[in-house]
Amino acid sequence: MIAFTVNGERRELDEASPSMPLLWVLRDQLKLTGTKFGCGMGLCGACTVHLDGVAVRSCQVPLAAVAGHGITTIEGLSPTHSHPLQVAWVAEDVPQCGYCQSGQIMSAAALLNTGAAITDDSIRNAMSGNICRCGTYGRINKAIKRAANAPKEA
Amino acid sequence: MSLIDNTRIELPRREFLKQAATVASGLAIAFYLPGGMAAADPKTPASATGFEPNAWVRVLPDGTVKLVVHKHDSGTGTQTALAACVAEELYVDPMTVQVITPEDPFFQTYIHPVWKVFSTGGSTSVSLEYDRLRMAGATARVLLITAAAQQWKVDADSCTTEDGRVVHASSKRSFGYGELVGVAAQLPAPTKVTLKDPAQFKYIGKLRHKRDAAAKVCGAFQYSIDVQLPDMLVAVIQRAPVVGSKLLSIDSTAALQVSGVRKVLAIPGRPDVLGGNLEGVAVLADTFWAAQQGRQVLKVKWSDSPLAGFDSEQLFSAQAQAIGDPKAQVVKTMTQGNVSAQWAQAATLIEADYTMPYKVQNPLEPICITAQVSDVSITYWGGVQVPSSALEAAQKVCGLDKAGVTIHELVSGGSFGAREAKYWLFEVAYLAQKTGVPVKLLNSREDEMQALFYHPATLNRIKGALDAQGRLTALQLHAVSPASPEQWEPGYFERPDHMDYSTTEAITAWDFAYRAPHLDLNWVKHESNVPSGWYRSVSFIPNVFAVESFMDELAHAAGEDPLAFRLANMQERPRHVAVLKQAAERAGWGQPLPPGSALGIATNQGYSSFIAVVARVATVDGKPKVEKLTCVVDCGLAVSPGGVEEQIYGGLMWGLGHALFDRLDIKQGRVVQSNFHDYRVARMSDMPATDIVVLDGEPGKPGGVGELGSPSVVPAIANALFALTGVRQRSTPLKLG
Repeated sequence: MIAFTVNGERRELDEASPSMPLLWVLRDQLKLTGTKFGCGMGLCGACTVHLDGVAVRSCQVPLAAVAGHGITTIEGLSPTHSHPLQVAWVAEDVPQCGYCQSGQIMSAAALLNTGAAITDDSIRNAMSGNICRCGTYGRINKAIKRAANAPKEA
Repeated sequence: MSLIDNTRIELPRREFLKQAATVASGLAIAFYLPGGMAAADPKTPASATGFEPNAWVRVLPDGTVKLVVHKHDSGTGTQTALAACVAEELYVDPMTVQVITPEDPFFQTYIHPVWKVFSTGGSTSVSLEYDRLRMAGATARVLLITAAAQQWKVDADSCTTEDGRVVHASSKRSFGYGELVGVAAQLPAPTKVTLKDPAQFKYIGKLRHKRDAAAKVCGAFQYSIDVQLPDMLVAVIQRAPVVGSKLLSIDSTAALQVSGVRKVLAIPGRPDVLGGNLEGVAVLADTFWAAQQGRQVLKVKWSDSPLAGFDSEQLFSAQAQAIGDPKAQVVKTMTQGNVSAQWAQAATLIEADYTMPYKVQNPLEPICITAQVSDVSITYWGGVQVPSSALEAAQKVCGLDKAGVTIHELVSGGSFGAREAKYWLFEVAYLAQKTGVPVKLLNSREDEMQALFYHPATLNRIKGALDAQGRLTALQLHAVSPASPEQWEPGYFERPDHMDYSTTEAITAWDFAYRAPHLDLNWVKHESNVPSGWYRSVSFIPNVFAVESFMDELAHAAGEDPLAFRLANMQERPRHVAVLKQAAERAGWGQPLPPGSALGIATNQGYSSFIAVVARVATVDGKPKVEKLTCVVDCGLAVSPGGVEEQIYGGLMWGLGHALFDRLDIKQGRVVQSNFHDYRVARMSDMPATDIVVLDGEPGKPGGVGELGSPSVVPAIANALFALTGVRQRSTPLKLG
């Protein structure tokens, strides 16, 4: 049995293989399909989730490695889907096909979590592991800045 | 199947618009007759107890308005833009109204007006559907107004509509659309339909958002990969490594021992079908992960193939040999004067070869489709860009007919041409029939890279003559490439004009911008037997690279400014000239530049739209870097200005990729690259600054934009690099230092 926390909820998996990538555990066993498969090699970022608040590529993280840790997926980023990044993403109309956007937003959220200054450089550094084939990089940059400047919740 | 030949639209489009105009004048209104759908096609959409005046509008008694969007949305915002065309005339909000995909994807009205198949592509969805979608909304509105006026016993002209209601202002009465469906559904077709004055548009020309953003930022949006059905198996396919290889043996013992693996099945190849699938071995499992684990231990032996000697590096010399080969099939795409008489008299004569390698589409959502087959039916779930191909698979693989085909259409995670391939529809149909359970076929990234449905490698040879005054007197081009549609429509080349419009983009009389006294433009058909497929911007990519680079070479040879040289050689190209001049001005063309930087310019048209791109490159840390792309676009009416802007940005990004990264190699018949580590695509860190301006074009005529943005980027960058370094690069990917 492997136990870990997903979006604040304790999950215990009895039958999952310890070597199965977290991506497929999330998608196929926990039915959290917001996390996407793009390359299976940690190269595209579509499967980005947070492991204890840090962005990781879930296709490269075996289930065994998350035992006892906390995972946040796009579904759990905000209970009301109103995380400042999600609001900013809609305001800037970022998604085209949208397939990469769960991963983009999770990478951006991890950047905001670090408390680093939000500049073109810090955005580029944090986001260049996430491929978008439609071409939303310009709007992602704007949306991250918008979210960073959004009034903080009380 | 489809001729996704973008260029051809330029001419037939006029015919289509003429037909639409006929409809608008009321002569062909039967097309929009209530119940006319039934007359046109026995398989009518499932009738609710509502009002279904035409193929695009559904009003339910409770006031729900549903608009049908019959085009596939691969992320380009098609659903929003097309819904807006209907909604504008129906006086409902396209952002909040329900949008559905066709109940019957094969309803005749939905057929592509030019290609005559059920398909989406070629940057045509908005430009070709704009008029009839507006008519559909306006016709429904007239019927609703008539229904209200009859009940109120007032003149229909005294009624207006707003936000889903018919209003009689002077008596302060109104009906919601839902209250009118019973009466409206019984009315005869209107004899007159008036379209909105574009000055009154509330949505068209103003859209800044797409309908589905909210669902796409919280993980709730359903893609093909998210389809889950009871008893479903997930299939991965080990396809023949070389085209033409035959399956010799399968040892599935180890694969079947992997937990979750249920079946291993051989899939016969369909060389008899144009664009059909290769031979393959499918591993079917409870999950993709299990199927992939099984595939890793699958032992398959393949036969040799004639293509096993194929090496893409040697292709260019074979293509060069085809030029001048009397046996080669050559089509003259534009001719005037007599070029060969000019060479001897030229003051300056230059000649150059431009090459581009194979490229692969790589939508981020790999190809994925789910199907279930019964004795009489097949049901698909997923992003089906070409319903005609899904129908072909049903017919040829399962022996089913059209009445048995259902498609639950989903937005896809990008296409760029990849979803216009049909091999995966054939494969899933076969597996679903063979197993009797729902089968979800999912490509890995490696499968995407190796699916053999590529943008072909090409060679363009150009020769140009200048007189003593530096004027262009003669230009000759040989564009060597395979025929795009050959595999889709046998005998295509045997048409009377022998023309392959999708391979000759930018080099025909209507889209080649330059006029020298003597011109000789040719397409040389050269097949490599590596299947080629549709790819965003198709043959504009190599042809614009060659032509726009060569114009730059000629300008420098003539001692002229490259912008001035272009303008001097364009005749009756006002839209081209306008975008060129404005892009140049915005980018500071002719102004002093910071030391160590340079500009390059290029232009193209396509899909009834025009673009000019200026690239600024600069030496950074001893190496050239693309710092900025400036572009000006004239796409006529931008139905969704926000959508146009993002399509152009995406196009610029694709162009940057073509310039710097895209290259797929084939050695001994096998694809070398496998994933994003050895096939680079543009990342955020690669993107230069961008300045995108969309002009207020001619109202009433939207052009296509999905494929407009990329072609000029490569020559703009190559030209800027020449200005910076003095080195002319004629092969992509371009080298930076």
